[in-house]
Amino acid sequence: MDRRDFLKLSGAGLGGLLVGGARTARAKAAWNGKALLYDATMCTGCRACQMACKRENDMPAETGGSELYEKPSNLSASTRTLIKVAEDEQSGEWSFIKQQCMHCLHPACVSACPVGAFQQTEHGAIVYRSERCIGCRYCMVACPFNVPKFDWDKSLPYIEKCDLCVDRLEEGLPPACADVCPTGAITFGDRDSLIAEAERRISNSPDTYVNRIYGKDELGGTSMLYLSSVPFDKLGLPELDSEPVTELSEAIATYGTPSVALSVTSLLGGLYYWFSNHEEESESEATVDQKEEA
Amino acid sequence: MAQGKNRRVLKELLHLPMSYFLMAAFAAFGLALGIYRLVVGLGPTTNLSDAYPWGLWILYDVFFIPFSAGAFMISAVTHIYDKEEYHVIARPVVLAGFLGYLFVVLVLLMDLGRWHRFYNVLVPWYWNPHSFMFEVSMCVTVYTGILVMEIAPSILERLNWEKPLRFLRIATVVIAGAGIVLSSLHQSSVGSLFLLMRHKLHALWWTPQLPLFFFTSAAFSGLSMAIFVAVVSFKAFGKRLKLDLLSDLAKIVFIMLGLYLALKVTDLAINGELSLMFSEGWLSFLFAAEMLLGVIAPMFIFGNREMRQSNSGLFQGSGLVLLGLGLNRVNVALLGLQAPAGADYFPHWIEMVISLAAIVAGVLIFGLAARFLPIFQDAEEVEAERSPSDSRSKEKGWSQLPQPGTVDTT
Repeated sequence: MDRRDFLKLSGAGLGGLLVGGARTARAKAAWNGKALLYDATMCTGCRACQMACKRENDMPAETGGSELYEKPSNLSASTRTLIKVAEDEQSGEWSFIKQQCMHCLHPACVSACPVGAFQQTEHGAIVYRSERCIGCRYCMVACPFNVPKFDWDKSLPYIEKCDLCVDRLEEGLPPACADVCPTGAITFGDRDSLIAEAERRISNSPDTYVNRIYGKDELGGTSMLYLSSVPFDKLGLPELDSEPVTELSEAIATYGTPSVALSVTSLLGGLYYWFSNHEEESESEATVDQKEEA
Repeated sequence: MAQGKNRRVLKELLHLPMSYFLMAAFAAFGLALGIYRLVVGLGPTTNLSDAYPWGLWILYDVFFIPFSAGAFMISAVTHIYDKEEYHVIARPVVLAGFLGYLFVVLVLLMDLGRWHRFYNVLVPWYWNPHSFMFEVSMCVTVYTGILVMEIAPSILERLNWEKPLRFLRIATVVIAGAGIVLSSLHQSSVGSLFLLMRHKLHALWWTPQLPLFFFTSAAFSGLSMAIFVAVVSFKAFGKRLKLDLLSDLAKIVFIMLGLYLALKVTDLAINGELSLMFSEGWLSFLFAAEMLLGVIAPMFIFGNREMRQSNSGLFQGSGLVLLGLGLNRVNVALLGLQAPAGADYFPHWIEMVISLAAIVAGVLIFGLAARFLPIFQDAEEVEAERSPSDSRSKEKGWSQLPQPGTVDTT
């Protein structure tokens, strides 16, 4: 599914050329936002991060899930971050894995929301502006990581997801989960320096880590970075390419829409003009109502 | 005199067939459930969940939006290529399209979690032009307005309001044109909604061509809807219909289906995904069902001149196209989407009753409008065609002078 195929097939000449332009404009240099690095090899599964998140966001406790290792078993409207346990059946290796919003550099939710209820802050955090939300849930369907959750039991619910503790960031504090982590499994910092730190850890102990930083390139990069000793697909992190999901959709919205509107309008105008003239020329075909109008 | 008219209308209402009252009762029940849903929220009234945020009501909308495309296809044909025999079916088809959209809007409102803030979509400083949900909402809103203007002449004629009628007659071409432009954008942008889901929608359906496919399928489905509505409603209201006209449309549908099939196969071939048609088990079966039932079978029917010119052939062919369209939209918006393991979705009975009630209410209003408004006015001229004295039949269907409707003449 190359974009060039799209061009060739759709034949939307002008609109298509501009799609290519949009792509280069989007190819940004290294993102300079804030990020979280979660090193699964250092996590003991104490869930202090989960508790801190609940406290910070004033959310009720949840029951359910496997009693010993994870509770609850999925993110929800009252659980913005979650420690889960994952096992690689082949090697028998297991690992904890922290779930929360990935804070994509090219976020699908921001692109999807019709009323701009999601916004990317200067820190790189994706925040929810609840007063705009109409509850269409397109963000939930569009998110490649299934992160936004809905408060189904409320009569007028809101979307819930991690906002990287944006209020704390404003005060110069790290997100609550990183602040409370007793083992240093969650580190907060500039995205560039965290990537450098992760690379250092991999090169220091190449036998421990899978040689990859998940989130560095996925979908054009995320502000949530992962290190692990177990392959990432075993941890429930989807296998993704490095092309942002938003590019194609946004290019078609920005350039395709006006192109379609323009070309359909001119096509219609042309047809109408042609048929009117055509009818005038051939006397026998001239319709009665045209005569009446005259 | 007005009183006498009202009394006649009332009398007519009371003597409607029983089925009308049953439909009204069911629609009222659906309305009550709808209000209940708006009060208590989505949790208690639907089986939607974090795993399945979209369900039956979204399917209702992605099906009825292209279904209602009949309106724009017919107004395109009648206004651009001013072939007078199309005017005969234009009013019933545009009415059906309008009702289709009206209930799309209402069901969409049902589906909005924060429905009390629906007007946020109309607040300019909230607009997100990158969002196809934004484009869809804008198009639905504006296009429904345009359909109101297209349907208004029937009502204004009934009320004998000359001034607005005169204005609408002048603006008719512009209104129809705007409707066609909006509709093209709208139908394709429903497909574009799924462009963001490159990893979640199965490759049998996800392609950068989604807008093109949604537009093409909306175009042939719209024409099929026109055929379907014409065949069914003319029969139901005892009107005679010249089948040549519908068989012309069926021929266009045949060509469009062929084009769609070729595009679909080419697209899969270019992406090297042809083998997916057989390798994906249940999903391959769904894909095959959608293409065989909704594209290939109707091509056989509409490709055959005799079938195309028979009432039953037209009914079956257009019915199959609509069935295939339904299946396609269900596949894209629900079954072809990756769902978390262990999660299931089957609509709650309230979701089903509200959706069904929306359809029943649409049929009911169509039936009432056909009785009380000059909807099949031109159709009667078809009946009276043998007397060639009536030159008015050559006039544009939209700009008919006010004439007493079917009911009034009795």
